[in-house]
Amino acid sequence: MVFSSITFLFSFLPLVIILYFVVPNKGKNVVLLLSSLLFYFCGEPKFGFLFISSIFINYMFGLLIDRCNQLIFRKIAIGIAIAVNIILIGLFKYADFTIKNINSIFSLELPFLKLALPIGISFYTFQAISYLVDVYRGEVKAQKNIINLSLYISLFPQLIAGPIVRYKTVNKELSERKHSFADFSYGVRRFIFGLSKKLLIADQIANLWTLSTQTNQPSVLYYWLGAIAFSLHIYFDFSAYSDMAIGMGRMFGFHFLENFDHPFCSKSITEFWRRWHISLGSWFRDYLYIPLGGNRKGKLRWIFNLFVVWGLTGFWHGADWNFILWGLLFGIVLMLEKLFLLKTLKKIPSFFSHIYTIFIVVFSFVLFNNSIADAVTFIKSMIGIMNVPFISTESLYYLNSYLGLLIISIVFSTNIPNIIFQKITNKPIWNKIAIYAEPLLLIILFLLSIGYLVDSSFQPFLYFRF
Amino acid sequence: MKHKIISISFVGILIAMFLLNIILPSKDISKSERRKLTQFSTLSWQSFKDGDFIRKYEKYVLDQIVFRDTFRTIKTSAGFYLFGLYDQHDIYLKDGHVFKMEYPYRKSSVENMAKKLNSIYKLYLHDMDVYYAVIPDKNYFVRQDNKYLFIDYDDMIKTLNDNVKDMTYISLFQTLSLDDYYRTDLHWKQENITKVADKLGSVMKPNYNFIYMDYEKTEYYPFYGSYYGQAALPIIPDTLSYLLNETLDNASVFYYTDIESSPIETKINDEKNLLGVDSYDVFLSGAKPIVEIHNPNTQAKGELIIFRDSFGSSLAPLLLCGYSKITLIDLRYISANLIGDFITFDNQDVLFLYNTSIINNSTMLK
Repeated sequence: MVFSSITFLFSFLPLVIILYFVVPNKGKNVVLLLSSLLFYFCGEPKFGFLFISSIFINYMFGLLIDRCNQLIFRKIAIGIAIAVNIILIGLFKYADFTIKNINSIFSLELPFLKLALPIGISFYTFQAISYLVDVYRGEVKAQKNIINLSLYISLFPQLIAGPIVRYKTVNKELSERKHSFADFSYGVRRFIFGLSKKLLIADQIANLWTLSTQTNQPSVLYYWLGAIAFSLHIYFDFSAYSDMAIGMGRMFGFHFLENFDHPFCSKSITEFWRRWHISLGSWFRDYLYIPLGGNRKGKLRWIFNLFVVWGLTGFWHGADWNFILWGLLFGIVLMLEKLFLLKTLKKIPSFFSHIYTIFIVVFSFVLFNNSIADAVTFIKSMIGIMNVPFISTESLYYLNSYLGLLIISIVFSTNIPNIIFQKITNKPIWNKIAIYAEPLLLIILFLLSIGYLVDSSFQPFLYFRF
Repeated sequence: MKHKIISISFVGILIAMFLLNIILPSKDISKSERRKLTQFSTLSWQSFKDGDFIRKYEKYVLDQIVFRDTFRTIKTSAGFYLFGLYDQHDIYLKDGHVFKMEYPYRKSSVENMAKKLNSIYKLYLHDMDVYYAVIPDKNYFVRQDNKYLFIDYDDMIKTLNDNVKDMTYISLFQTLSLDDYYRTDLHWKQENITKVADKLGSVMKPNYNFIYMDYEKTEYYPFYGSYYGQAALPIIPDTLSYLLNETLDNASVFYYTDIESSPIETKINDEKNLLGVDSYDVFLSGAKPIVEIHNPNTQAKGELIIFRDSFGSSLAPLLLCGYSKITLIDLRYISANLIGDFITFDNQDVLFLYNTSIINNSTMLK
């Protein structure tokens, strides 16, 4: 079940909201947990048992680590706990990739496991590991209430596509949280913004990407349109999901941290990764990069750490070489920026540093979305060294047709609408009309989104399979 | 206050939609979209376990959601007027007409069409008088506007003329104009195509004048053409007119479903279909593999066989006064190899009459 589905919006969500606010405080976590399990079962019934087992194992490991007084036993416990989680994700996500490469290197014919990837496994496994490590480090106490721990791992707003919520972020709210109209309405606002970003922009701009890949009239312009459309699509799709997750979390009294901060406004790749999928970047920083030594153990070790982290960041996104290369590409750029490029980028006009960042991001998403060989051909076509014309009738038509949507997408990928909104709301007159104007605008946006949902075919979120 | 309004409105909409979707009965068909709607699928442990139930349920609620047409109108309006898209699902509006873009141009499909015609000629039509004509789709008439994407009509005709053997081409492109087509549908208006009948007749039956036949016109309103539902915009529906005269009134019409069953009798204008999914099915009861029209007028000589698409249903009655029998064959529903089981080919006039959309997608012909 995805958030942008009629089943979720007009069956699941209203029932959960009613039940949640009808039951007394004591029962609210049970309602949310059962709803979350139902949500998961509806999306992936055959992996339901695996999911519940994963929760139970991590609950037990948390208690075990907490109870071990001696460091050596704590280390053994956390080591086993992490290994179990890694094996779990490795088995389902990376086994066939590993077998494929072993077969290729050693000319073997080992059979593939052909296991389907359980929805959200990359997200809930990382959440569980962060919890266990935080317990090991003594930053949080192990959660003794299995309902609360289960709820932390399975909470449906962030279960299948993030953000990767840290246990310490919601620790207190798991046992006691406040509910208010202010929080609920903020949640509604974020949810509707997210829903409309997904349906009005992400899914529509994805059509342009699809059209560019299916054309019989390839052209340089078409390749650029496709690459830009995909970059915008992946941003709006993923950030929309985060918006909806944060919004629904807030409706139920949880305060999740932001996952995106207008990444396309960045003036360097370093800045881009501070603004893009923040929960994943900070996870790798806190649970891998810093434990490896970060930049404290000399330049060579720092470079090694950087490549390990970015290679794995790429690998987290998908079990294929293009994802690993995609991550390593960012590793190289970040290394170069740290070594000397950042200084140069700060000196040149902002316009050029923006262009530099956008170019790298757009090219990187071509690699993200294609096999390495296809990406090379695609990029060659973009820079005009393949034998394709610069422009074609079809590419020109779709450029003109999608121009409005492209402009709207680009504007809404920046902070400009926010700034304008802030300026308007700072005026005293706004307070008088906002009481009715804001709800009205939200309702219009919501109904418009439903219109797009009804008219569209089913388009699952991209980040489901990561 | 604002927070309360936002919260209550949102929850109110969710609950209202939830209740309305449960309370209101499911519909069988969507007339505007011209399709059957998904029905509720029974829940079983197996169907839930393999995810089948949830997938079907989502399809069901998407199809059955209250105000479905209104929501689609909201979406389409936003697409055209807010985002400025030129087309949506290939549908665009121009000069009060709804068009569906026929694109891209598939030359291989045109060549395949020519091959198909040649193979049928070899199989059944040796030494017979065989003609072919192409009906332009609506886009042809606005192709001067470079805003949209069009197929290469000139190349299509040239390719057919170069590849189709032993047949006479009759051009209809100059005979028709956009006004001869419905605004909300792909088809031509029967009341406007007596000139087409005359053009075809002038080649196939030079001594017979089709254009001066008298017809009595019956009008049906509202006619929601097939593009009406796809456009999902508040457009004024068309008026569908169908013609009748004494010859047509006395004609007997049969269609075949398969070789074992007896032919089923129907009418030139099957008025019960006006209220069906597609009112255009009023003409010869719509799409059928083989239809025979018998003209009781003993003065009419000769027979005509038309290989046709849906456009042929409204045209064939207008040619009846010149023939004792017209047989219509729709190769979308019957294989060319099987038609010999139904029809004896014996020196009839033969006309292949297809619109450009079919020629550009000729793999649909069996």
